[in-house]
Amino acid sequence: MTLTQHVRNGWYLGAWSDDVGRTLTQRWITDVPVCFYRLPDQTVTAVEDRCPHRKYPLSLGHLDDEGTLQCDYHGYRFDGRGVCVGVAEQADRPKAALRRFPLVEREGAIWIWPGDPELADESLLPDTSWLTDPSWTHVHGVVPLKARHMLLLENLLDLTHETFLHPTSIGNAAVAATPIDVTVDGDRVGFSRRMIGIEAPPFYEKSCGLTSPVDRWQDGDFYPPGIFVLNIRVAATGTEEPDGFHMKVLYGMTPGRGNETHDFYALGRDYLIDDQELTRFQHEQQLAVMQEDVDALEAQEIMYATDPGGTAESSIRSDLAALRGRRAVAKMLAREQRAQQDARTPHSRPSV
Amino acid sequence: MTSPSATAPDTHPLGSAAAATPSGTRRGTEFEGTVTVLARQAVGDDVVALKLVASSGEPLPVWQPGAHIDVVLPTGATRQYSLCGPVGDTAHWQVAVLREPDGRGGSQWIHDHVEEGGELRVRGPRNNFPLRPAARYLFVGGGIGITPLLPMIAEADAAMAEWSLLYGGRTRSSMAFLAELESHGERVAVRPQDKHGLLDLAGFLGDPDPSTLVYCCGPAGLIDAVEAHCADWPAGAVNVERFAAAAVRQPADDAAEQPIEVELRASGTTVTVPPGLSVLKAVEQAGVPVLSSCEEGICGSCETSVLEGEVDHRDSLLTEDERAANDTMLICVSRARGGRLVLDL
Repeated sequence: MTLTQHVRNGWYLGAWSDDVGRTLTQRWITDVPVCFYRLPDQTVTAVEDRCPHRKYPLSLGHLDDEGTLQCDYHGYRFDGRGVCVGVAEQADRPKAALRRFPLVEREGAIWIWPGDPELADESLLPDTSWLTDPSWTHVHGVVPLKARHMLLLENLLDLTHETFLHPTSIGNAAVAATPIDVTVDGDRVGFSRRMIGIEAPPFYEKSCGLTSPVDRWQDGDFYPPGIFVLNIRVAATGTEEPDGFHMKVLYGMTPGRGNETHDFYALGRDYLIDDQELTRFQHEQQLAVMQEDVDALEAQEIMYATDPGGTAESSIRSDLAALRGRRAVAKMLAREQRAQQDARTPHSRPSV
Repeated sequence: MTSPSATAPDTHPLGSAAAATPSGTRRGTEFEGTVTVLARQAVGDDVVALKLVASSGEPLPVWQPGAHIDVVLPTGATRQYSLCGPVGDTAHWQVAVLREPDGRGGSQWIHDHVEEGGELRVRGPRNNFPLRPAARYLFVGGGIGITPLLPMIAEADAAMAEWSLLYGGRTRSSMAFLAELESHGERVAVRPQDKHGLLDLAGFLGDPDPSTLVYCCGPAGLIDAVEAHCADWPAGAVNVERFAAAAVRQPADDAAEQPIEVELRASGTTVTVPPGLSVLKAVEQAGVPVLSSCEEGICGSCETSVLEGEVDHRDSLLTEDERAANDTMLICVSRARGGRLVLDL
């Protein structure tokens, strides 16, 4: 597991809609500094956060009421399309423009494509309609993580760790004891674990009012390089699954700068949606569980970072989804690097 | 699939009869290949029955009640479906598939893409749910779990055994094969949940009876309830089949018995790999360095490019597409078909 470079030809969760307004927000994404803001018509914009003049961060500048972005170092000004419209010191307009990133704003999430804009394909995004579906409610946010994206990806694709890392909330022996079924569809990797007649983990006892035994399903889908959706179903054993409690967790695993990752999350449910107390409890639990993951992944990151030679890893059958996830990302990266190489190599150069 | 009956000690009351228990179809009489869909018919809400013939036109292996086949989907996933046509028909197989919108997509794929005249990759049959001889049978079927019970009922009926079936489902229209079953008259109790509520297992199963075997297939909750009800019945009296699939890859044992030649083109050497030795070990013994770790076909460390030859994949990691491409292999477990490989080592 040495993958520390980032795939750029893919969608990442760049921000939640409610994070971005008429102020300038900087966020590093796949080692690229990005400045997010809204234009007067409320459309969201993301540009590379480096002024083309002397690379000063534009996010330290100003946005005026017309949507003109000004660099606060020497006064370069850019219009809503990122084209330089003037500079304070001279009458002539410098020939400069900002790199703008393809964005999709949908259901309260802002998705960004940091790679080749030509390849940005909206159909690669997962269905997130439940984020605004009136029969669902959700909480969302982002947690900073000082560990490489791949460690978070493997954490989510191998939920066996719940048994050991989250024993007081969502894990118990049944998770590690139940094998997963893994599927691959193109670049996507999915797994399913169906636990029947098990003891209810504390989180589900409290948030669904269930007592043991319960049936619990985990269906995870990884949309490489950086999106993971977990479908959770819990029902009293002996009842039909569709009548049970449904939850979904969306994770945006967005590589930041170096081996840091933005761990975006949204946790939704389709029952007791007006119960504010339950919402508060679930949000607290989600953050507590994520903190356990963050602590573990940051400890793991140090071990990987200090072992560049890569001592051998041992793997077991429950790693299958995570290993397929690694392969999917590695393949995307290889494709991307091959394409860049092809673009750099002149096909035929006329002789002079 | 799990089936306590396959491993339960042989203590059921009809001891002598149990000695003749079919142990499932042995490997070697299994079919692995392509079948053509001869007919596709809706047999209940969201249930289609598929009638299959070997695409080669050859006869299919015989099977016993309770047997299933694996359908290998284009995604590489496999799904198990019980055979539910007449036993002894070696020209056709029949399976019935319920569309499960909350499933992992296998049944949806079959519903959406499999048409008459189309082809499917299948393996089998295998039997983890054999019907043992008994004087009396109680069959409990829930929803699509009726499928393995159909040939069992036919067999019990032909053997003049006493039998009855309790068949539950969500609604009557969701329940497949009703006409066929109801022709048996009072032996069959059809109990859709919207009319009758949960199945009256206590009333149907009654008290333990040493001459009776119980066979149940259906949703986990139903199976659990049957097992709970029969907790104090004689060991082996209750036989169930759950839908959960185990993803274990079956190696092709016959190929493991043959030595293979492996040319390591970059090193300019050729090694012979005897049965029982992995390609990885043979390569290492030839002094060619190669990364490896788990030696179980899981981690992918030993993945090696294949230049020539056909790979017999035994690993757990590669997807069906990657296997089919035949350009890479995990040399710790995978071998060769046709006795020869050329590797980029």
